[in-house]
Parts: sequence; structure tokens; C-alpha cells
Amino acid sequence: MAAPLLELHGITKRFGALTALKDLSFHIGEGEVIGLLGDNGAGKSTTVNLISGIHKPTSGHLSVDGKQTLFTCRTDSADAGIETIYQNTALVDDLSITRNIFMGRERTNALGFLKEGEMREIAMEVLNSAVHISGIDSPDKLVGDLSGGQKQAVAIARAVYFKRRILMLDEPTSALSVRETEALLSQVLKLKAENVSSVLVTHNIYHAYQVCDRFVIMSHGTKVFDVAKADTDIAQLTEYVVLT
Amino acid sequence: MITATDSGSAPPRHGPAHYLRRFLANPAGSIILVFGLIQIACIIWALLNPNDFRYLSPQNLAILMRAVPVLGCLALGVGVLMIAGEFDLSVGSVYALTAIVMAVQVTAGMSGFLAAGIAIAIGVAIGVLNGLITLRFNLPSFIVTLGGLLFWRGAVLLYNGAVQVRFDPEPAFTAIFAGTIFGLNAAFLWFLGLTFAFYMLLHHHRFGNHVFATGGNRAAATAIGINTGRVKIIAFAIAGGMAAVAGILATARVGSVQPGQGTGLELQAIAACVIGGLSLRGGRGSMIGVFLGVLLIHTITNVLLLIRAPGFYLEMFIAVLIVGASILNQLIDRRGRA
Repeated sequence: MAAPLLELHGITKRFGALTALKDLSFHIGEGEVIGLLGDNGAGKSTTVNLISGIHKPTSGHLSVDGKQTLFTCRTDSADAGIETIYQNTALVDDLSITRNIFMGRERTNALGFLKEGEMREIAMEVLNSAVHISGIDSPDKLVGDLSGGQKQAVAIARAVYFKRRILMLDEPTSALSVRETEALLSQVLKLKAENVSSVLVTHNIYHAYQVCDRFVIMSHGTKVFDVAKADTDIAQLTEYVVLT
Repeated sequence: MITATDSGSAPPRHGPAHYLRRFLANPAGSIILVFGLIQIACIIWALLNPNDFRYLSPQNLAILMRAVPVLGCLALGVGVLMIAGEFDLSVGSVYALTAIVMAVQVTAGMSGFLAAGIAIAIGVAIGVLNGLITLRFNLPSFIVTLGGLLFWRGAVLLYNGAVQVRFDPEPAFTAIFAGTIFGLNAAFLWFLGLTFAFYMLLHHHRFGNHVFATGGNRAAATAIGINTGRVKIIAFAIAGGMAAVAGILATARVGSVQPGQGTGLELQAIAACVIGGLSLRGGRGSMIGVFLGVLLIHTITNVLLLIRAPGFYLEMFIAVLIVGASILNQLIDRRGRA
């Protein structure tokens, strides 16, 4: 079997006296959709930030395609083909939708000046194709003027546009309507068909069960259960989330 | 998409109030409006009373052009830093220090151009130092640069004592920085050029986009892969460097440096930025706004001088302007978010 796309090996993360992650290991295979489940404070978001390169592990390491590595900043994980939809959306309210989508990855000429027309066109396309959220009529709108669901749509559109191998979704459905949620989940399956892996972090076991191939359940900073969809059911998953 | 709206058809009709609101929602909208109205009022008044109110006389315009660039250069640098979410209170002291260093070196026989280069390098270095201390120890830049304000003012006296220094560079230097080109004051042309350069840098360059992102939401900018620490350090360096540029322009014009000059200019620069629509929280504003904020402060100063008003009126006017501008921006901000 080929080496997994991304693997976490015995990751421990401490913030001062608090141990957020304790000897956490799991892997993400190619074209696999993983549900990362667990109650509040289980360490899900810390795991997302760690895979995104925002947090560095206190001990343990990652490997990409079987090669040991360490993400020291967000750029490292982007280079590895990882995109993240953050729980807090990570958007700048005072900038336009276009500028938010291309934030940190602007299209520029050789002198560093922005190719504004080109970025605007792509933003328009991305907004219409990724997760269609009604009410966004122009990519020039300031993100601060959007509703919660629209903001989340912009964050999703950005990650979907730049993703190459792994899409991390940290509670992506919290501000979405039922219809928008369905659209997002089918987007995840569409990406899977294109061989892009996803990690869906959620409280909602039903959403996860709908699209995920495998479930990793966390509790108190470590993995307590790792099971393929074929070997489990919603009742058992719920039991693990609630009781551990 | 099936849900695509009728984007091909005519846009909905809007009344003038709609366009006024949209114009005011622009970061520089309110300052453009206020500046325009005041200019129109001054020009009409000057045309009606050409003998009493010499606003449009060539002499007065020349005075205005010479006065604007010093505060203008300081405000451009401070403005970039404010949008990045930090303050620099030390620019007034850095302005004096770099000018003194330049003048002393020229007196000792150095070329004016080389001395000016050294002055800018010192300004940039002090800015970087402010940035490093602020970020390394995670302090408010307000406090760090308050320290800088006192420290570098002291350093001026340590370096050359409390004496005025004559500045007598080669004629070419004076011609380029204080001469007259096409009937316009050279320093004013420098300020116009720098304003345009800063406008391009901040609003149409990758770096500017990172400045707005860093000041607007630092956590988001970091999460998306922007090195916000580096952006802030560069912004501090720009503020320091522009303080030195202001010093060069002022010194070339006057031909001497006072060790006490520039006291209070840092607050005037911040005032110009606030009047121009920059948010004290960062992430919001425009270089056009800063430019007009500076012009507005000088226009009002000038008008009060022309009508021979006592000096304290100036301070009171600026005060009203700052608070008024902040209230206006707050109101626009709130309506935009409603």
C-alpha cells in the first residue's frame, strides 16, 4: 500500500500548563474523507491548526507522502497542498471578497502590482461554482457587509479554489442553512471524486456520517476510536463521542 | 448557474441619496466631501473679497505649498503604519534627529545627498528597532514609541547640544529639494510624487493588501499565510524613513535645524490620518484621505492666519476637526455594518 497522504505521529501539543493534544496519531489517505469527531475541548481545532501549520507540535511529527516533515507556518502546509476552512472563517471585514479570496496569494505582475481585473474575474467564477450562496452579487462587496452564511461561503470558496490535495473543514456548517449545508457536503463528495481528501471537523454526526469514509473520534486531546464507515453506525459513533 | 440573477438587464434606479451614501462609505469619501466644500467656500470668499482675504494670491499659495510637505511626509508614513494596526509617536523626534545628523555631516564637509541618504537610513533603522521591540515583547507600539519620542529627543541633545545647526549643502541639493520647478515648489512636488507612490503601494500592490489584512484582522492574515510580523516591521521602517524625508525637506527649505523642532508633529500627523478617515484600530483608510487630511489642516491654519485670528483658534479648530471626523467615520461605519 502506498504511504498515506498525511500522517500524524505521536503528536503532543502543550500551551503552558494545558495539554491540548496527547500522543495523537492518525493518517489521511488519498481521496479519503475523514470525519474528525469529538466533544467540545477534545482538541479538534488544535489538530486543524496543527495540520495547517499555525501551531507547531511540542513533540511528535508529521509525514507527507511518507516523508517526515514539520510545518512551521501556514505557507508550509499550503505548499503541501493543504487548504483549511477555519471555524472563525479567517476573513478580513474591511477588504472586498476578491481581496479576501486572494489574500496572501495575490496575482501580481513582476513588480508585485495586483492584477485586479484577473482576480476579480476568478473570484466571480469561484463564488458561482463552489458553494452557491444567494445574495452575493458582486465580488467587490466588503466581507464585513455579508451575513454569517455568506462569509462562510467566501471562506469555503477560497479554500476550494486553492485546494490541491487535502481540504480541512473546521465546523464549516455552523452558519449555513440546510440547503447550503447539503451543497457543501456534496461539494466534498465531488472533490473526493477528483481524488482530493477532506477532513470534516464537526459536532454533527449525521453530517459526518453522510459523507465520510472513516471516523476519528477524539477525547481529551487524544484519539479514542478510529473506524471505517462500513464497520460502524451512528449509534456507536454517538456512544463514543458522548461517553469517552 | 440556474440561480444567476438578471445581471444583463439594466441596474436598478437609485436616487441621489443612494449615491451620496455610497460615496461616503468610501474610506476617503467624507474627507473628499468636507475638503471640497471648504475649498469652494474659501475660493468664493476670496473671489468676492480679493483685498481682504488673499487666499488665492500667488504669495499665499506659495506659502501653502512650502508648508504642506513636512507634515505630509510624516503623515504618509504614520498612515501606512496605522493601517497596519500600529502607532509611531517617535516620528517628531526622529525627524529632528535625522535632520541634525544630516546638517552636522554636511557642515563637516559631506555631500548633501550622501548625508540625506544616511538620514533616511537612520530613520529606517529606528523604525525597525521600534518594530522589533514592539513585536518581540508583544507590547503596545504606543508605549514603545512613546519611549522613542523621549529617547531620540534626548539623543538630539546628546549628539550636538542645544544649538541650532546651519545647513549649507551644494546648490544642486537645495534646487532639488527646495527649488522651484515649473512654478511649483520642489518639496511640494516631492510630496505629490510620494503620495502617488504610497497610493500605488497601498492600494494596488501586494504589500498594501498585506498591510490592510494585517491591520484588519491579524489572526486571519496569519492563518492564511501572511507574515504579519514582517509586514509590521516594514511599516515601522516606512514611518521612520518618511520622518527622515520630512526632515530633509524641512531642512533644505529653512537652511538650518533647531534641536527642538518637530515637537508635537507626531500628534499632528496622527490627527491628519484620523481626519483623513483612518481607523485607530487599523485596517481601514486610504492614502488619498491622508493627503487631504494634511491639506485640510494646513488650509484651516492658513485661513485663520489670513483673517488674523489668534493662534489658539487653530488648536481649537483642529480639535473640533479630529473629533468631528471620528464621529462621522463612526456613523458611516455603523450604518455600513447595519
